[in-house]
Amino acid sequence: MARPLHIDPSSATPIWSQIEEQLRRLVTAGSLAPRSAVPSVRDLARELTVNPATVSKAYQRLVAQGLLEVRRGDGTYVAESPPGLEAGERNELLTRAAERMVIEALQAGARKSEVETAVQAAWNRLGREHGADGGDALPEKARTR
Amino acid sequence: MSGETETRAATETNRGIGADEPRTAIAVDGASVRYGRIEAVRQVSLAVEPGSVYALLGRNGAGKSSLVRCLLGQRPLSAGTIRLLGEDPWRHRTRLMERIGVVAERPDLPPHATARALAGFVARVRDRFDRTGFLARLERFGVPAHRPFRSLSRGQQTTAALALALATDPELLVLDDPTLGLDSVARKALYCELIETLAAREVTILVTSHDLAGIERIATHVGILVNGGLAVEEPIDALRDRFCRVSVSAAELARLEATASAPLCRRPTAWGGEEWIVDRQRQPELEGQPDFEGPWSDASGREPMDLEAIFEAVTGGDEVWRPARPIAVPEEPVAKREALR
Repeated sequence: MARPLHIDPSSATPIWSQIEEQLRRLVTAGSLAPRSAVPSVRDLARELTVNPATVSKAYQRLVAQGLLEVRRGDGTYVAESPPGLEAGERNELLTRAAERMVIEALQAGARKSEVETAVQAAWNRLGREHGADGGDALPEKARTR
Repeated sequence: MSGETETRAATETNRGIGADEPRTAIAVDGASVRYGRIEAVRQVSLAVEPGSVYALLGRNGAGKSSLVRCLLGQRPLSAGTIRLLGEDPWRHRTRLMERIGVVAERPDLPPHATARALAGFVARVRDRFDRTGFLARLERFGVPAHRPFRSLSRGQQTTAALALALATDPELLVLDDPTLGLDSVARKALYCELIETLAAREVTILVTSHDLAGIERIATHVGILVNGGLAVEEPIDALRDRFCRVSVSAAELARLEATASAPLCRRPTAWGGEEWIVDRQRQPELEGQPDFEGPWSDASGREPMDLEAIFEAVTGGDEVWRPARPIAVPEEPVAKREALR
């Protein structure tokens, strides 16, 4: 892998967080296989021209989350079976999409019930095209709660 | 060894010096520097924690060089205190300089000496000097060790000064605009050397620079001097979170002006609206507001700012921005303005 990480210092996302997220994506996408070695803190810091402490912070967080493992005196590796992240990532994606929608709805002066109706209509129209299990799936679940 | 100094330091500041060792690498407390009627540094207090990379920024004439000269014990303060590694640099300069590596704004290497000859000399007077490491670094930098310093380029002199500073295994590095006059290749080599140093051992770095794009990848803390006062001091992540740039459309402008207090800076755009820079710390009332959540959120209009953009906004940048709300700088430097007139 020639240069899998790209850092944008002008982003509002802190550099350590960018490194953490990109490594997480590489691991979940399988580009970094379980048990494969990741670069040393020093090598990655030099490649990205960032403070080694920044790389170290990202590694430490990924170790704490069970994605990476440190083998003493050896180096850092992708964990043998990194925890599945799909649920978490999907949640985050949904939250962000919903926030965007609410913001635009507020700007348009819409009411909450109007937003819900619009989501349901969009689900009915688009969901079926994409093979979702029926237009009722969303409100059905909401009712059983 | 002055017992008097140490008791004074211990009572004066509780963060500058501990019972055994300093917990703060650099502690500046109420520091002022006056040149006659001109106050170049005004009541600056800052703390640099061990292991951090502190970028001290400011426009030309903001007081950086005056403050650095005091940090290095080259001149006394007019008021306030400075502790470097727990010691007063003005009173204990010689002893302190054994533990500090310095790259001065203008490298002060003896013009007629070669790096090889200088290495031989320094090895005799300094215990901790790593001669082999010094010559190896010069080779990595591509600086010839057999030519007198005066025949070297500006960049080569700076890198030689850095190699010299690193060879004494310093606890603290003070770099005064080290990238000045360096081309992009030499700059990259310098940053790589700093990264190597940071990875290899615990060292604290204080660096002044105008290369904001380069320094923002390495700095852990940023202090910005404006008119001799410290206007902003934040860990780098907090700094990015604190300031944001938002586009305000012509339609939104009147509504926002009625509900929100004035932003830090503003300027009209070619589209009829305005671009605002918001200091979120100074306008906490905006956070929960629909206005802030709406047009100012990431989903629309709000743009992240890099260090350069934040620097321009904070330092006034009157040519670029119309400051609507001056940032908290101690009162206007009247004496300085009058003197310049």
